[in-house]
Amino acid sequence: MRRVDYRDLLGGGLITLVGAAAMYHSLTSFTLGTSDRMGPGYFPALVGGVLALCGLAILIPALLRAGPVPRFEWRPLLWISLSTLAFALLLVPFGLIPAIIGQTILAGISDCKLSWKGSLMLAVGVAVGATLLFKMALGLIVPVFAWPW
Amino acid sequence: MELLGNLVLGLSTALAWNNLLWCVVGVALGTLIGVIPGVGTLATMSLLFPITYHLEPTAALIMLSGIWYGSTYGGSTASILLNLPGTPANAVTCLDGFPMAKQGRGGVALLMTTVASFVGASVGIVLLTLFSEPIANIAFKFGPAEYFAIMVLGLVAASVVSSGSAIKGITMVVGGVLLGLVGTDVNSGVSRFDFGFPELQDGVGIVALAMGLFGITEIIASINHVKAADSKMDVSMKSMLPTRDEVKRSWGGMARGSGIGAWLGVLPGVGPTVAAYMAYAVEKRVSKKPERFGKGTIEGIMAPETANSASDMASFIPTLTLGIPGSVTMALIIGAMMIHGIQPGPQMLTEQPGMFWGLVMSFWIGNIVLVILNVPMIGMWIRVLTIPYHILYPAIVMFVCIGVYGVNNNVFDVYLVLLFGIVGYVLRVLDFEPAPLLLGYVLGPMLEENFRRAMLLSRGSFQTFIDRPISMWVLILTAVLLVWGVWSSLRQRSTVALSDASPKAA
Repeated sequence: MRRVDYRDLLGGGLITLVGAAAMYHSLTSFTLGTSDRMGPGYFPALVGGVLALCGLAILIPALLRAGPVPRFEWRPLLWISLSTLAFALLLVPFGLIPAIIGQTILAGISDCKLSWKGSLMLAVGVAVGATLLFKMALGLIVPVFAWPW
Repeated sequence: MELLGNLVLGLSTALAWNNLLWCVVGVALGTLIGVIPGVGTLATMSLLFPITYHLEPTAALIMLSGIWYGSTYGGSTASILLNLPGTPANAVTCLDGFPMAKQGRGGVALLMTTVASFVGASVGIVLLTLFSEPIANIAFKFGPAEYFAIMVLGLVAASVVSSGSAIKGITMVVGGVLLGLVGTDVNSGVSRFDFGFPELQDGVGIVALAMGLFGITEIIASINHVKAADSKMDVSMKSMLPTRDEVKRSWGGMARGSGIGAWLGVLPGVGPTVAAYMAYAVEKRVSKKPERFGKGTIEGIMAPETANSASDMASFIPTLTLGIPGSVTMALIIGAMMIHGIQPGPQMLTEQPGMFWGLVMSFWIGNIVLVILNVPMIGMWIRVLTIPYHILYPAIVMFVCIGVYGVNNNVFDVYLVLLFGIVGYVLRVLDFEPAPLLLGYVLGPMLEENFRRAMLLSRGSFQTFIDRPISMWVLILTAVLLVWGVWSSLRQRSTVALSDASPKAA
């Protein structure tokens, strides 16, 4: 198998796709106008085109050389994402404290340096601190506890 | 004298208790996050961004700026004690700072870097005071073509000079410009790239973008890499006293460092990190004993620490007088101004003199507070270094979530932050620097507006950018930078290390 630079191949490819999609969308969905009276599509189409060119400029040389394979650290990526997601999902139906506890515990799984007990203690501590700071001091509009049913 | 009157006005604004309080809060927080590796300046500024909605605009700017220059002070602490830069601008300080700490002279290094930062900052503030008005007066003559050209220069400079490949930096800038176009087009009222979400019609929120790219991304990348310190340092006042020879050798380094830093700071796109590297290189070149560098010589920490602080301050010159941010941090400052309906640019000096001069004078106060925070209270910051990261990061994620929710009281922004966090992490692994993206995002709408206006005035002729002399020279400079950047990044292309997945401690 020929060795190519997978990292730049992937990066350049993604960028080219985004740029081309933006250009296509601007050309088809918005009026372009003329260069002295530009419509909403003119500048975005231009920028999308330049972005696609940039992507190609990264992609093409990457085919001609060997390079590192991108290494994702899946574990923190997954758990931090889930942690944020949990916060977003729990906040309105259940309230601030359950959302923060869920978020903190899930975030803690990313590196597993805390025991379950420690993790729970941290979560409660963070939740109480955040409630005092954001709810009491800064007046954030959100219920502390809620019950959706 | 008019300048004197302005300074008095500025001082009275900066000393108003409200502004004074937020100045102290800003620099203290800046020092704190500067000290901790793995919590970046940008992340913190983005975290505190929502608070600025509730503050008066002057206080908000004073606080955000305080975080920025405060973190450069604090960043040297981790460089010296842990050999880990607290912020990228302090990376060179590791080279001689850490050897000094190993020789038991860490206290001296900590004291002297604070002195260096103060000297550098003072030079920067003096320049800001003297040159803001003349530059703003020139800027009044600029038309849309000139503004467009200068913004392009800033964007290209930022991407070419940033670490890593120039073409990738430019890609990020262009991507950022595209992202900035999301939302309703001002001229026609057409909603662009909103993917059917009504929330996106006002554009992508700067808070969600910045927190995702710099908060969430940084946490994901740092979790397995940041270690806490267990340093038991002698930081009594006595241990901090430098020898007479060290004081003597510091002067030259500080003079050269402040000159380099101030000059590079004024240029759009060149930040304190580049300034610190340049100052170190110059110092080594002019030294009679270059072999001492890297083994704990005092010039090796003085020059870069002076340069990065001078550059921090000088970078406010283009930001405040032209309204063109030279760096991502400055882009956030401009974002904060626009939230409060203040258009940065030459008219700011005449329309908002209290705010402008108040900000400038608050820099003096902030820097004096920083000296107090960093010399007698240094022991406290060293203790901060011993907090393990696994306690810190769940709390940081919480701050991100609540902060971004609080902007519009809408969960949509939390989903957005998650999306940008993942995108930012993927970009980081693929070796794209996310910082130029934010710069492009802030400048994108301004770029489009000035481009359209210039073309309207010239009746659709692209020649207008070349016909006008200022714009032509700026564009020629941009082209030179572009060619140089692409050429030099092609040359470096030979060896790429496999261990690139490790985070750049920021």
